[in-house]
Amino acid sequence: MTNAIEVTGLRKAYGSVQAVKGIDFYVERGKLFAFLGPNGAGKSTTIDILCTFLRPDAGTVRIGAYRLGEEDRQIRGMIGAVFQDGLLDPLLTVEENLRLRGGFYDLRGRALTQAVEDIMKQVGVSDLRRRPYGKLSGGQRRRCDIARALVHAPEILFLDEPTTGLDPQTRKSVWQTLHGIQREKGMTVFLTTHYMEEAAAADYVLVMDHGEIAAKGTPSQLKDAYARDKLILVCHDTARTAARLREKGLACTETADTLELPLASTLDALPIIQDLREEIRDFEVIRGTMDDAFLAIAGEAIRE
Amino acid sequence: MMGFALRNLKVFFRDKAAVFFSLLSTFIIIGLYALFLGDVWTSNYEGVPGIRYLMDSWIIAGLLTATSVTATMGAFGIMVEDRGKKVVKDFVVSPLQRRSMVGGYVLSAVTVGVVMSVVTVVLGEVYIVINGGDWLGASELCQVLGLILLSTLTNSAMVFFVVTFFSSTNAFATASTIIGTVIGFLTGIYLPIGSLPETVQWVVKLFPPSHAAALFRQVMMAEPMAEAFATAPAQTADAFREMMGVQLVFGSTEMPAWGSLLVLLATALLFYGLSVVVLSRKAR
Repeated sequence: MTNAIEVTGLRKAYGSVQAVKGIDFYVERGKLFAFLGPNGAGKSTTIDILCTFLRPDAGTVRIGAYRLGEEDRQIRGMIGAVFQDGLLDPLLTVEENLRLRGGFYDLRGRALTQAVEDIMKQVGVSDLRRRPYGKLSGGQRRRCDIARALVHAPEILFLDEPTTGLDPQTRKSVWQTLHGIQREKGMTVFLTTHYMEEAAAADYVLVMDHGEIAAKGTPSQLKDAYARDKLILVCHDTARTAARLREKGLACTETADTLELPLASTLDALPIIQDLREEIRDFEVIRGTMDDAFLAIAGEAIRE
Repeated sequence: MMGFALRNLKVFFRDKAAVFFSLLSTFIIIGLYALFLGDVWTSNYEGVPGIRYLMDSWIIAGLLTATSVTATMGAFGIMVEDRGKKVVKDFVVSPLQRRSMVGGYVLSAVTVGVVMSVVTVVLGEVYIVINGGDWLGASELCQVLGLILLSTLTNSAMVFFVVTFFSSTNAFATASTIIGTVIGFLTGIYLPIGSLPETVQWVVKLFPPSHAAALFRQVMMAEPMAEAFATAPAQTADAFREMMGVQLVFGSTEMPAWGSLLVLLATALLFYGLSVVVLSRKAR
């Protein structure tokens, strides 16, 4: 089984700024691949290159069976992309937009009508077909963008921050639709996002920072390697308990009326709690999350 | 390409403001003429029979030239906007060929130019007839339609070339306002070429759309001219022709109609060629 995407030695610079500094990775067919990184890490540049929009300075990229830069037309026929901003025509209706874009993929006549009907139904925008795209709500618009990206049944779908700016309910329902379609068609999904719970649902995660690959693995591998589990205690007398813990050689930090202890695994919390039973009012054991892992990999400094 | 051109047309005609502003210079000219320019010129030639008909035909001919410039410019605004809003990204990631895309933009701009010009000619004729003139004859009408096609082709080529340099909607809007205003002077519509200083006259004569204006005038003013100058000496008619830019004169030689046609054709080829060069250098 060949990979859906294979990237070797990919480089791209804007003037003297190295946006992508020679990265290698591959994406397995049919998987949900999450591509993370803080703003300015080189994510968008990479996705633009993979979508044939930007030309790389060096490196080779294979999309399916085709070589990027030589067989771009074939590549364009088998990929679909949802960009951060919706790029459909606001004055045209949903159906007109989809029919026009479907035409780009050599869909004609009945095949085009069928493809547009099918995808509108799958994505749940059939009722909106006669409404101008510009008059729709954010969530409805996003669904239409997805319909546009899938109108030609691509093998690989690129999603560039697809749910940014959507409310939590809409985000959830958009993902339900996406997961459903992906499972049904065995489509490969290449996702960039800032929502770690979305990345946690991926099959494989790659974190990029400063134009390089900072970490990669499955979500649980990354969590194991980078995220710490922790125990939070609410005590009757915080200072006394803290002293007792230090006596035992356990590091802890005091915050307000709680104590926080890093744990190697959640099970390690049990003997501690047992031991301090009399002194605590309440406790909480927290599994390391993708958020923690991401912050540990990319650092806490804010970038814009 | 046809599908893409159709998209551009839909996007353009649904944007009421875009349509209005693409006709802005047309409205300005009509306004100026209806308010006072028309009266100024007709009173200059008092006593000439059918002067109103003659001057109305003159202004409508000029109007046609300006309309095809500004209308194509409005239509090309879609291309600038697509670039500014990164909508092109959505087209580039599809197998749609680059040349079909560019062809689609050009085709839609030419179509918009022709449609707007035809609307102008129809409304213009109605205006002329209401003012006591005659309808254009069938063969003249065919000639006018042919000229509309050719002049739109030429003007769209020039506008296209200018448009290739813009990628921001704001800059383009400013540029099109300026061009829309200046076009009236450069083709001798606000003021007849004969009333301009010598050097400016040369600029007008060398500006390709002026040749389109001259050809429109020659066709549309043939009948009212014959009527107006039936009893006048030939020199009077010739002087009027030169004064009003019906006949462009270089030194002492008159520019023949085929010469003007050639100028238009050559300009179209030149500017489409240049645009292709600019665009292929940009594409990387």
